[in-house]
Amino acid sequence: MTRTRTPLAATQSRRGFLGLSLAAGLVLSLEACGGGSSGSSGGSGTNTLTWAWQLPTTWDPVTSSAGSDVQMLALAYDPITALDEQGNAVPWLAESWAYDAAGTTVTFTLRSGLKFSDGTPLNAAAVAKSIERGRSQDGSLIAPQMKSIKSVAASGELDVVIELTEVDYQYPLLFAGKTGMVVNPAAFEKDVDALATQPAGSGPFAVTSYVQNDHASLKRNPNFFAADEITIKALELYPQQDPATVVAGVQSGQFNLARISGAQVEAAEAAGLDVQVIDSMFVSVLDVNASMAPFDDPAVVEAMKFAIDREKLKEVVGFGVGDVNYQPFPPGYVGYNEELADVYAYDPEKAKQLLADAGHTSPVKAVFTSSGQSAPAVELIQAQLKDVGIDATIETIPQTQHTQLVYLEHSKALTYDGFAGRESPVQAFQVLFGAEGLMNPARQTDPKLEAQLEKVKQTPTDSPEYAGLLQEATRIAVTTFPNTFLQLMPTIVIRKGVSELPASPSLRRFEGVTVS
Amino acid sequence: MSTLRRLWAIPTARFALVVLAGVAFLAVFGSALAPHDPLKQYTDRVLEGPSGDHLLGTDYLGRDVLSRLMAGTRLSVIGAAEAVVIGAVLGVPTGLASAWVGPRLEWLALRISDTLVILPFTVFAIAVAGTLGNGLQQAMFAIGVLISPIFFRVTRAVALGLRTQQYVEAAELMGASQWWTLRTHIWTKVLPNVAVTSAQAAGAALLVVASLSFLGLGVTPPAPTWGGMLASDLGYLTQQTWAPVFPGLLMMATVGSLNLLADAIRDATGAGTSARRRRRTPATSRKERSGAVVS
Repeated sequence: MTRTRTPLAATQSRRGFLGLSLAAGLVLSLEACGGGSSGSSGGSGTNTLTWAWQLPTTWDPVTSSAGSDVQMLALAYDPITALDEQGNAVPWLAESWAYDAAGTTVTFTLRSGLKFSDGTPLNAAAVAKSIERGRSQDGSLIAPQMKSIKSVAASGELDVVIELTEVDYQYPLLFAGKTGMVVNPAAFEKDVDALATQPAGSGPFAVTSYVQNDHASLKRNPNFFAADEITIKALELYPQQDPATVVAGVQSGQFNLARISGAQVEAAEAAGLDVQVIDSMFVSVLDVNASMAPFDDPAVVEAMKFAIDREKLKEVVGFGVGDVNYQPFPPGYVGYNEELADVYAYDPEKAKQLLADAGHTSPVKAVFTSSGQSAPAVELIQAQLKDVGIDATIETIPQTQHTQLVYLEHSKALTYDGFAGRESPVQAFQVLFGAEGLMNPARQTDPKLEAQLEKVKQTPTDSPEYAGLLQEATRIAVTTFPNTFLQLMPTIVIRKGVSELPASPSLRRFEGVTVS
Repeated sequence: MSTLRRLWAIPTARFALVVLAGVAFLAVFGSALAPHDPLKQYTDRVLEGPSGDHLLGTDYLGRDVLSRLMAGTRLSVIGAAEAVVIGAVLGVPTGLASAWVGPRLEWLALRISDTLVILPFTVFAIAVAGTLGNGLQQAMFAIGVLISPIFFRVTRAVALGLRTQQYVEAAELMGASQWWTLRTHIWTKVLPNVAVTSAQAAGAALLVVASLSFLGLGVTPPAPTWGGMLASDLGYLTQQTWAPVFPGLLMMATVGSLNLLADAIRDATGAGTSARRRRRTPATSRKERSGAVVS
């Protein structure tokens, strides 16, 4: 009797529990369906921008370890200069700048009446202290870009005088990014570590609360020098959302501005959302370690460059959004070299011939590392490489280990990556091709490129020769180094009740943007 | 054979066995019978719906979904089976030993088991994959280790109960060796419980394998797995809202069948009921004793 009753009792008990669970779930589901009004409204009607984009690795521009952080930091900080749509330096905190005749001293003249978000004056002394911290603080990740600074000093209330150890006309460009973001000295002199979570700048918004890996709340900064152009009262910043839910998130009002990929454009349009495609400086690229097999053979590298059908990548992976590109700069940018427009156009026969000429009669084995950023692109490239005789095995690493394994340990031979661009083209070359460049896994350099970059640095950016010298540096880099550029990836945003964003290729800015 | 006959007599068991036989068939012959190469990319036919050429449509790189489901069965099932085998190999002998060998081993085994029980499956598997490298073997080893306490506890509970049975004590008094007693009187009683646990653990392991594949761990792309297909389908819901249904259904059918089979084995063999009966005995005795005092 016991043997027959016990399972039945247990079953009944489980059934009872299951029934209770289902009932509870039903009640909660109905509550959730009917309780929409009590949830977040996404700021609709409150002049609040709820933005699903990304959170920074830190709110301190000096220790920020990701190039893409510049976007979030620009909400709270102002750089000394800014970039226009062609990538030229234009006034921002500094209304003008001038080099001396020798090119070894540059003086930035600030706008008058500038203030940090806490109301303290943003004057030349504050800017000099901020630059000094960036180039001298232990652990500063922007210090290497300011190696040629000999001294920084305030001259009067508005002039910041920078003396250089060598001629370098790149500083106005360099100061348009994290390197030029001015941090309130009162904050870092009091508690420098607090900057990681409590930014102290003069940007259009001020952070009021920040929950790491969750969200940041910002409010309009009335002390921002162009505060009249900011109509958004509050900004809620969230990480990028899952592709499966991002459109629904904006449609439902959870967010009113979000980034999507080409695959979601159709859904966003069908949902009646505003879709805006903004040109960016982001280029997808393969980081190739030329000190590791099989890429220590230049023939394999060159064959790989010809083996990738970038048009197919654009069509299949990008859903037609983006442009094929063989160099680190977009068309229209001063460093873009027209001669490279089709330099590695898809030619599988040539790729096979290159491998055959180099004596590779059997498939060349390789490991292709992916941190899951774009699995379709990685799988498509793998298949294309296989077609020409490069048999690449995909190795997936956690995204959190990408920086350590690829950039710092240089332990990966071939990695799918993206280059977000830099404010100064010389800085971009240093990152991609420099002796300490994060995206130069083998840390190999080329004397010709080094010499050409010296010429670029020593040429004023408004000189007629500047563009030609820079474009020649691009040609040397692209044809000498193994980095394989794939395509330009524009930023696609979807908006609901938010006016069109300014089409700046480097940063999303909110001057003049309205939220209804 | 009588156990198998009793099992087959249970309708849910018949249903579960038929489904699992189908899954096993796919695991063995899926790749060979797939209508297309599961890795072949038809890049001009990306994200197409079902058609004569591709019965379940194509995925984001134009690969045949049906072929990938069929070929993916092997890796998904082998992964789960591997974890269950590792769990059983680690858990069952230790469970028997903890009941039979001295208190030191018992204490040590219990502490290790308690420690493993508190570790979450997926997080531990991710940590192991991060340490030993991202691969199916590493992930399955991690899951197998975490499953082992289930086998350990079930085996130990049954063995402890059986050890105090009169026929076991009688055998020992008559000079039977421990090995003979274990083999003759204990193992045959433990085995049904291990079978029930294996079926349940296989279902859990299958879901963890799918979860890890969903997170990009375990199986290296472009090799197909059910979890990996489900994960990639979610990125293209606009184009193919129905796509996650196919791997989801396969997973649901397999895991559900394993659970039904576990229930059926328990009912057919009586596994678990004796343990529950034994666990109640002391309480019953206490009630009886206390009742005696009150009265």
